[in-house]
Amino acid sequence: MKFEKILFNTRFRDNAIGALEQMLDLTAVGLKEIILVYVIPREKVAFVPYGGYQKEKELEIKKKVAEKFEKWGAILAKKGVKSKIRIEVGTPNAVILSIAEKEKVNMIVAGRKKRTLLERVYVGTHLLDLARRSPIPILMDKYMAEYEIDGKILTRVNEHIFSHPMLATDWSCPSENALETLISLKGLASKIIVAHNIGVKITKAMSPAQFQEIKKESRKRLNEYRHRLVDAGLEAQTSLTSGRTVAEIINVSRKHNASMIVLGRTGKDWLSQYWLGGVSHRVAETSELPVLLIP
Amino acid sequence: MKIDRKIVFGLFLIALVIPTIVFGSDTESPTNHMNLGEILPLWSCIPFGFMLLSIALFPLLAPNFWHHHFGKISFFWAASFAIPGLVIFRGIALYEILHIIIIDYIPFIILLWSLYTVSGGILLRGTLVGTPVVNTCMLLIGTLLASWMGTTGAAMLMIRPFLRANSHRKNRTFMVVFFIFLIANIGGALTPLGDPPLFLGFLHGVPFFWTLNIAPHMVLAAGILLVCYFFMDSYHYRREKPSPINLNEKVPFGIEGKHNFLFIAAIVISVLISGIVDWGKISIFGVHTSVQDLVRNGLLLLIGTLSIVTTNITVYEENNFSWAPIIEVAYLFIGIFITMIPCLLILKAGGKGALAFFINSVHHPSQYFWSTGIFSGFLDNAPTYLTFLNTALGNFYSSLPEKQAISRLIAENPLYLEAISAGSVFFGACSYIGNAPNFMVRSIAEEAGTPMPSFFGYILKYTLLILIPVFVVVTFIFF
Repeated sequence: MKFEKILFNTRFRDNAIGALEQMLDLTAVGLKEIILVYVIPREKVAFVPYGGYQKEKELEIKKKVAEKFEKWGAILAKKGVKSKIRIEVGTPNAVILSIAEKEKVNMIVAGRKKRTLLERVYVGTHLLDLARRSPIPILMDKYMAEYEIDGKILTRVNEHIFSHPMLATDWSCPSENALETLISLKGLASKIIVAHNIGVKITKAMSPAQFQEIKKESRKRLNEYRHRLVDAGLEAQTSLTSGRTVAEIINVSRKHNASMIVLGRTGKDWLSQYWLGGVSHRVAETSELPVLLIP
Repeated sequence: MKIDRKIVFGLFLIALVIPTIVFGSDTESPTNHMNLGEILPLWSCIPFGFMLLSIALFPLLAPNFWHHHFGKISFFWAASFAIPGLVIFRGIALYEILHIIIIDYIPFIILLWSLYTVSGGILLRGTLVGTPVVNTCMLLIGTLLASWMGTTGAAMLMIRPFLRANSHRKNRTFMVVFFIFLIANIGGALTPLGDPPLFLGFLHGVPFFWTLNIAPHMVLAAGILLVCYFFMDSYHYRREKPSPINLNEKVPFGIEGKHNFLFIAAIVISVLISGIVDWGKISIFGVHTSVQDLVRNGLLLLIGTLSIVTTNITVYEENNFSWAPIIEVAYLFIGIFITMIPCLLILKAGGKGALAFFINSVHHPSQYFWSTGIFSGFLDNAPTYLTFLNTALGNFYSSLPEKQAISRLIAENPLYLEAISAGSVFFGACSYIGNAPNFMVRSIAEEAGTPMPSFFGYILKYTLLILIPVFVVVTFIFF
């Protein structure tokens, strides 16, 4: 898959322009056009209690957003990237998915806001809902992310996010797709880490011999992945761990100083999606790195 | 810091229900104490007046401010009655506040939420061509649905297909206005599910099927309006000569989320059963409430939740479903219900209360029809219904307990209740602020590019010219 045309959705949070500029790295692998999208949530202009629709407010917002997007468009044009502006009123996820379909983009980029405790418990946020439903890759962008290590709050600025991506694979079909996507980043990614974690659930009921067998099989598969990347001309290294998958993926990403985590997005049932979240969703939620989810 | 609105609203509903069941009685029932309605001064109704004026004027004069602060304004007016009331009358005031919240507000919001949620899960698809016949049929269907899925539910279900069907027409404004008249208001007259005032009547003891007595009034008013509409639409259709819809874009007719019709039936049954069975009463904060009413509230919450869980999110999205309107209603009505307490108590006190002059001046059913109606047209029709119901009770049975008084009113003077019911439902169509779905329909129509008249333009061009003559006919025939 090539990232020739991407949809960049923004709410103009801090550092949104920084996040956009990161996308320009993709010009090295064929990026030609960015669709700049701003969705005005319907509630912001409609349903004024006992009043009407605030058309003037809608136009005012659209004007301000268009001005900002035009400036962004000029920055993109300097780098040889075309841009198109889409400002619409509606339900954000529905509008984003609809524009992505109409414009036939290769990837959706959406920022993530800081979350409250309740929102962390309830994984089914709007952005994860978007990730769950998107038929194309979605990049959960985190240009500047706060995270916690040993009780300390740290801030990380994520730049050149495609330079050192880490693929966390579970050997699923979407993981295969993720591998193919990474291969298409040749010329941009300097090194790729391929990681696999043997989950606690699997190892719990295993004898040591069985565990060794699984490790052996996993190493073999990891090497196959690595060979495919190397054969495609990319530098790659592997990592095999066992333990709690989400925590291990994050640990490995930090250990190898990854610039981004790439995951295949596996389908889960409704309950898991909304109240528990799959591994991919929880990594996307917890990690301080941008997360690219590949369906 | 924004939390998912669905969660907030769900927690809000749960928070409303659970504590009221858990905690015991510590308030004073006024039956053993002074009758507040006889001693409250007229000025104690001022917060109610300001609350209603805020709803009427802020959206016109300061829509942006109102959009962002209506909740605070509502709580301010609620507090402006509740705090002095609690300081002066303590336990009795607390009882009255809890009574109106537990008996009226919570069931009211839960019913609206469940109807709104379930009907939002039904999506009408299909390319309908907005000819006079098709449009009249759509209005007729919506009018018939309104009594069973609520005016809000029916309006939300029908407005987008109605607008899509007429997107090729030039003059669409009058169509939406008739839509508001019929589907968002008059169509809801047949059952307590149809329109909030009738549900409040049901909560206060009016039998579920009694409202069918309004059927002749509704049939007459809706019939005249549909005929008027057909002729107006035919006139415009001939003049416009609309270009035919591109058949390449034709979408076959279909309904998604059909299972939600079962949920609507479940809502009807839940409400109906709560009006038939008697499972006793329990005391919640000293307020006696029926077990069947609590069960109904629980069932409605369950039905709404099941609807959300079983309906594909794309149905809600294609319906442009939003929680905003129902959250707004919840915020505004807490202010309305609390501030109207003194007004209701004074009216219930009849000739002994500060509004004796008003009660004495309203005698004839036609006076009830018009005064309930005029207030309903410009204030919200739900509190207006309760106000005039209490006026009638104060007039005829001021010494009787409410449920007994309502039974006597139905048995001996049903015309008065018919006048109040029809007045509150029908006249809700007189302005954008008469009934909650009016503003939602207006908002959706404007968003879809249909120009809508201003607040006064609506009244001058449509209410005075079309609705009022219809109500005059209804008055002459029935009252």
